Amino acid sequence: MKHRNMPYRNFVILAVLILSGLFVSGTASAQLTATANHDHITVDFFYHGSTISVRGVSDPGTDLIIKMTSEDGNHTLRKKGKVGGFLWMNVGELEVENVPKVYFLHSTRNVDDILSRNEMDKYVIGYPAIKKHVKMNTSDEAEKERWFNEFVKFKETSNLYTTSTGKISVMDKDGEQNYYILTEWPYQAPPGKYTVTVYAVKDKKVIETATSNVLVEQVGMVKSFANMAKNNAALYGIIAILAALTAGFGVGLVFRKNGGAH
Amino acid sequence: MYLYLPVALTSINILIPVGLGLVVGLLSGLFGVGGGFLMTPLLIMFGIPSTVAAATDSNQIVAASTSGTYAHWKVGNVDFKMGLYLLVGGFAGGLVGVEFIKMLRAMGNADFVIKITYVLMLGIVGAYMFIESLSSMRKKEVKEVEVQKESKVRSFLKSLPLQTHFEKSGVTHSILVPIFLGCMVGILAAIMGVGGGFLMVPIMFYILRMPMHVIVGTSLFQILFTCIEVTFLQSYTNHTVDFTLAVLLLIGSTIGAQAGAIFGRKLKGEQLKILLAVIVLAVTVKIIFELTLSPSLLLSQAGGH
Repeated sequence: MKHRNMPYRNFVILAVLILSGLFVSGTASAQLTATANHDHITVDFFYHGSTISVRGVSDPGTDLIIKMTSEDGNHTLRKKGKVGGFLWMNVGELEVENVPKVYFLHSTRNVDDILSRNEMDKYVIGYPAIKKHVKMNTSDEAEKERWFNEFVKFKETSNLYTTSTGKISVMDKDGEQNYYILTEWPYQAPPGKYTVTVYAVKDKKVIETATSNVLVEQVGMVKSFANMAKNNAALYGIIAILAALTAGFGVGLVFRKNGGAH
Repeated sequence: MYLYLPVALTSINILIPVGLGLVVGLLSGLFGVGGGFLMTPLLIMFGIPSTVAAATDSNQIVAASTSGTYAHWKVGNVDFKMGLYLLVGGFAGGLVGVEFIKMLRAMGNADFVIKITYVLMLGIVGAYMFIESLSSMRKKEVKEVEVQKESKVRSFLKSLPLQTHFEKSGVTHSILVPIFLGCMVGILAAIMGVGGGFLMVPIMFYILRMPMHVIVGTSLFQILFTCIEVTFLQSYTNHTVDFTLAVLLLIGSTIGAQAGAIFGRKLKGEQLKILLAVIVLAVTVKIIFELTLSPSLLLSQAGGH
């Protein structure tokens, strides 16, 4: 009997969960919206980074967290360490897996004050949450902690990881809360697909989410050069060499005509 | 004005690479060095990934050394015969050096050996050139004593088979000598990941006894071929040559190389040597600082040295 009832009971629990989930997400999609002004950033020769603004509407009284991130990937970096007690040099490679290349996090208030640790881990909000699911080629916890901090420092120096508090402006209007943020999009962020996720937060919990996408794409000659360097490497190399030889001779000839070398 | 670099995946103010090219090209035309030991770290400092910096630098050296070789050739200062023998040796040495590096990497202490070799080579070459040129500028008799001291080495070199006269340089050597020396420089250059011009110039002066002005032109001629090979291999196997960046660099370096060649003719051999010695010593000191001071970042992009 007990065994026969189990599937039925599970079904009821599942149905309740689905219905309640639909209810929550139903209100969520009706309330929280997110639009990025630039969903397609084109990279040409004159590209020097861009700006992205995200705006939308949320429930009044909610805090907001905006996360812009690339898909998780693997990184191989060189580690510097002391050799013989006083010489700094490369001492091996650090493999960092399951981390985004780019991670920008903006929030209306300090994330630690508005969100519980569990929720942060669940939605991968904040560096400690990234650290939880990162894989590294070291089993020692203290070493992992140390090198993860170095990894974040490295990423922040390259403008690929940032966090900010208070940059999102919020305004109540007609019983709704309008939010807006304008952020710099650094030229160091490589071409690719990025996801902008907006979390509405109340009572230390994420109550709604909304997403938008940003595509950063090389176009025109930049795209042709990058593709050729990758897919037609031999020809690319020969062209680079011939162009350099021509330039060298060309300048030599110009100098001779001007009488500079005589 | 900023320009985006498709392979380096970064944006740079065009005045930076053009200016760097001008300065390094000037040194190249003056001393017959490729300048990789200066350019690559400077590019990395301005945000270019290390692998792209080294590969792209070799592409621009093709242009700078063509420009420099052409300028020196016009006034008859390139010994093509000597250059070819050095090249043959250099090519063989490069192959040996690359295998040696692979072996070191497998043993796990490659970086230590590379750095120490680099510092020692730069330090010894720089210091020797500096002291020697200073004393030869001051007193002529020191030079005479040295010639006597080195007579044993010279008689050994004379006893080797396949002696041939190098007309441009006005010296007679066995062809085995430049091939062997080229090979040694090739091995060291491959280990250090540089072109090796700063080693080749003193070797041509102190061992091959070539006149300083022919050395500069001949060294550039040899560097040209080495860098053509490196550019091709880097773009073919590593996809790390950024052509856009190379063009910006070579705008400066081709002009700089011409200016260097003109300026160099106004200087005496000793003055050229002592200037090169000072630059090599300055780079040595910079690397020693890098090795001993705590770095601000403990991680860097993989690849390159």
